Order: sequence, then structure tokens, then C-alpha cells
Amino acid sequence: MWHYRSIVREAWHRTMAVANFLCGLHVTNTYLCTAALAYGPSMLPTFNLTGDLFLAERLSTRFDKVRPGDVVLVRSPENPRKLIVKRLLGMEGDSVTYAVDPKNSSRCNTVVVPKGHVWIEGDNIYASRDSRQFGPVPYGLLEGKAFCKILEAEAHVMTSGTFVL
Amino acid sequence: MWHYRSIVREAWHRTMAVANFLCGLHVTNTYLCTAALAYGPSMLPTFNLTGDLFLAERLSTRFDKVRPGDVVLVRSPENPRKLIVKRLLGMEGDSVTYAVDPKNSSRCNTVVVPKGHVWIEGDNIYASRDSRQFGPVPYGLLEGKAFCKILEAEAHVMTSGTFVLYGHLKNLVPWDKRNEESRSIRLFVAAFRDLILLS
Repeated sequence: MWHYRSIVREAWHRTMAVANFLCGLHVTNTYLCTAALAYGPSMLPTFNLTGDLFLAERLSTRFDKVRPGDVVLVRSPENPRKLIVKRLLGMEGDSVTYAVDPKNSSRCNTVVVPKGHVWIEGDNIYASRDSRQFGPVPYGLLEGKAFCKILEAEAHVMTSGTFVL
Repeated sequence: MWHYRSIVREAWHRTMAVANFLCGLHVTNTYLCTAALAYGPSMLPTFNLTGDLFLAERLSTRFDKVRPGDVVLVRSPENPRKLIVKRLLGMEGDSVTYAVDPKNSSRCNTVVVPKGHVWIEGDNIYASRDSRQFGPVPYGLLEGKAFCKILEAEAHVMTSGTFVLYGHLKNLVPWDKRNEESRSIRLFVAAFRDLILLS
């Protein structure tokens, strides 16, 4: 009986310690700083095609410290389960001039970003789906500001045809 | 020395207990269920003008269980620091017909809600700023779904001109039965006010 109780107490304390650590990790991830993997062609040459691990901090977006030129992590207005990485080009009230379809024409549009919204564009405008397609994005969808790359993936094709990342 | 160490350890344990409780409260608030105060004329008669405390759960929006007709808590697309309460009227792909300016004309527009967006409108379309003004709202801005009112505020003006706000514990009171319980209290307050006037 005495054995059993001390084992249960020790198990409880260890479980609580692990739970506390995971909670702390989760709070850090949600409110301070998170890591994310960016892949795809829309942010070349800033981010690789095959994937770059970077850190995004959550304080700038919470305290309105993001400025045009920052690379931001945004919840996609087209698919709320997806996070996208783009560059912020205009805050509310700014006049943004953008190339509508740079592959086929050199036509440019100018638009004023409405109140409470921001304008985001990928660095690789030839292969990016951003505010030029889905319009200005409400500020509430901004999730973080990227500040540092921690792992840059390089891909090599081996003779057997498998990717080595 | 021995005294000091045990005091520090006890203080640490108590602080950790309080911190754990606050963390648990915060996690519940963010991922399960939160309380919010709705005020303003845009959701009459569902919500009062002067303020209604209600509970909003966070699971429906996270797991795509919201449907047209639900009252949702949304982060405002015009001011990201503000949360607004509106009724969801259309999911992505739905065709929504709405009155553009019901006070001045009876003109209606029909719009198809784009992918990843929802259409929200206040119940009181004559005094509501919603998707009819700022367009469909991205689904990512939905914060919760209201399911239950916990406190309905009633305001009375006393002779000195101050507002007296008091509430009654109610649960999902139908609009036509709302005033029955509080009528006696209102009569009492009115009588009290008359007494003050007389004296």
C-alpha cells in the first residue's frame, strides 16, 4: 500500500513536470517565437524552393511593429488551415502599385490599402499567389514576423534518384 | 537557514500552483470556451444594447463545425484589436442576397462568397456594420461560436442620473419571456426612485 502510493505520487509529479514543459513550449510557440518551414517558389530567392526552416516572432504583429519590407507569416485567406510566408508591402492607407500579370503583360495597378488591412506579395512575383490575386489581407490574419533562418535545405539528386535533403 | 529554505520552497510551490491555475484558465479560454460582453445595437434583438455576457466556444470554429445561422465571435477586419459578434449567413460558395441600404432603399445585391471566406451580418441590419460594408470575411478571423447567454444587463437611470446596471442569471431566455422575471425588480426600483423624488 505504501509502495503503491509513493509510485503514484512520483508518476504524478513526473507527468506534471512533462505537462508543464509542454505547456511552456506551447506558450512560447504561440506568444513569443515559433519555427516554421517555408517551401515553394513564391519567395525565391529569399527562401529556397525545397524548404527553409526559419524563426518567426509573435510580438511584432501583436504590438503593431510590422513595417513594409518585413517577411510575415500569414494565415491564408483562401484556406484557413494553411500558413503562408510573404513580404509585407503596404500598411493601411498606403498606395500600392503592383504588376497584375508580370509574365504576360507589363500592366500595373494602383490600389489604396483599406483600414485594418495589409498588402502582401511574394518576392517571386512570377510564381506567387498573394494580394494581387486575393486582395488586401485583414491585419488580424498576421501570425508572426520572420527574422532569422535557422536551417537552409539543400537538395541533391543522388544516382539512385532519391532526394537528399 | 533551515527556516529560510522551507519558506522559499513553500512560496515557490504556492506561486507555481497559482501560475498553473492561471495557465489552465488561459488555455481553457483560448481553446475551449470564453466569455465575452456584447454591446451595441447591431445584434438587436438577440443581444441587448447595453451589454450581454455570453459564452463562446472555440471548438466549432477550429473543426469547421460552424453553419449559417450561428452567432459567431469574429476579429474585426477593420480593426484587428476589436472582436465583433455577428450572425454567420453564408459559407464559401454560397450565394448571399442582402439588403444594401435598408433604411433608404429596398435594393438587394447577390454575391457569391469566395473560397476561404464567410459572410456575416448583424441581426439588426439597420444599425450594423458587417459584410455588407466590408465584404466577406476570411474564415481565419473567426474566433468562436456563441452558444449561451449567462448574464443579461438591464440599465435604469436613477434620479441622480447614474446608470444602475444589474443582471439576472438566465439561460437562453426566449425574447418574448425575457421581461417576466425582472418585472418585479423593475417595479421595486421604480418605486424606490419615486420615493427619492418625493423626499
